[in-house]
Amino acid sequence: MSALSNLLIPAVLFFGLGFLARLIKSDLRFPQDMAKMMSIYLLMAIGLHGGFELGKSELGLAFNSVLWAIILGFTLPMLGYALLLFTGKVDRMNAAAIAAHYGSVSAGTFLTAIAYLDNIGVEYESYPLIMLAVMESPAIIVGLLLASWSRQKIAKVSNGGQAIQDKDDRSLKEKIGPLLHEALTNGSVVILIGSMTIGAISSHKAMEKLFPFIDEIFMGVLCLFLFEMGMEAGRRIKEFKKVGTVLAVFGLTMPLFGGAAGIIVGHWILGLSVGGITLVGVLGASASYIAVPPAMRLAVPEANPSFYLTLALGITFPFNVVVGIPLYHYVATVVST
Amino acid sequence: MHNLTQEKLITIITTDVLEDQLIAKAKKCGVSGYTIQRARGGGSSGIQSGMLDIDTNITFSVVIPSDRLDNLLDGLQELINRRYHLTVYVSDVSVLRPDKFTVPLT
Repeated sequence: MSALSNLLIPAVLFFGLGFLARLIKSDLRFPQDMAKMMSIYLLMAIGLHGGFELGKSELGLAFNSVLWAIILGFTLPMLGYALLLFTGKVDRMNAAAIAAHYGSVSAGTFLTAIAYLDNIGVEYESYPLIMLAVMESPAIIVGLLLASWSRQKIAKVSNGGQAIQDKDDRSLKEKIGPLLHEALTNGSVVILIGSMTIGAISSHKAMEKLFPFIDEIFMGVLCLFLFEMGMEAGRRIKEFKKVGTVLAVFGLTMPLFGGAAGIIVGHWILGLSVGGITLVGVLGASASYIAVPPAMRLAVPEANPSFYLTLALGITFPFNVVVGIPLYHYVATVVST
Repeated sequence: MHNLTQEKLITIITTDVLEDQLIAKAKKCGVSGYTIQRARGGGSSGIQSGMLDIDTNITFSVVIPSDRLDNLLDGLQELINRRYHLTVYVSDVSVLRPDKFTVPLT
């Protein structure tokens, strides 16, 4: 099957190796800050590269992409929240925190999708990259709002139907300032938007000198990064029991809804090519494990981190890498023809 | 034989996102200094591997004169009441220079 042979690229295989290393209880362990370092490099390189391409793009379409990235970022968590409450397996606070992860994006999944498209020689636009940068933040804000709303609901129930509005309103106002700050100045957002701007305004000649750094070694670093992420995913999958089957099924179905939403936006609204549609699909499908977890720890302490980390990193991320990306690409090809 | 003075050592293990809040609370209670170390482990919040930004824990330690202890513990209790996950323990320690712990950090 061709979809399967397309997965035989080093980046995906290293992810599998990392996963395997954990399953066979290998003593392999990367130096502590290596993953952090590589994610800085990857975001910077993809930002510079995208910014360079973006310098040549249409402003109108770029603006539209940003707008739709924000719309996706706001609506996907609400869908996730509703689905999670429907399962009846988590309380409102956990649902809010988990939902926020699914509205945000995973740069690791996005980069894997780029490696996948490069391997099969499919071209893609640079607009999804701006969407990647934009979509980190809105979901954090929605997560916070959902959590505040849930807190009020819970307080109302425990107070026998009496709303205790005052206290909650104050805590929301107190929190929204720092959280907005956190959402918009988050490290990965700063690196991505900053590098994109630098890439867009730097002179061609100066940028060409950077190509060995941002292009030629890029896939090698991505392999190392996914190697480590495979180990992290393997570590999380062991917590699967804690999460339970119903939530795990959510971790597999939510990406399909998100991916479908992304593909609709990519094809019918932005009118991108097959590669572009695939990437927007991946953005919709992926769940954050970089920007959102620390924000949720700060804003929604009531939620259990092992739920959202196991789902985002242990279930949805491997699913997207192995099944999701080829699937979104396939659907993108079908809708484009 | 050295003359040792009894003080209290508070050790807090929690996620690194709370670092700023812990520092602020400690300063408010007039601590003379604090030490933060990166920690990894596991517990009710799942594995804290320390490999990613998302699952790094810290241990936060302060030596504090016993008359300021309750203030800081109240501050920590407030965080726990807001449902943050904190492991807090207080131990008796003996120090060589008690004057070092009386000057509040600004």
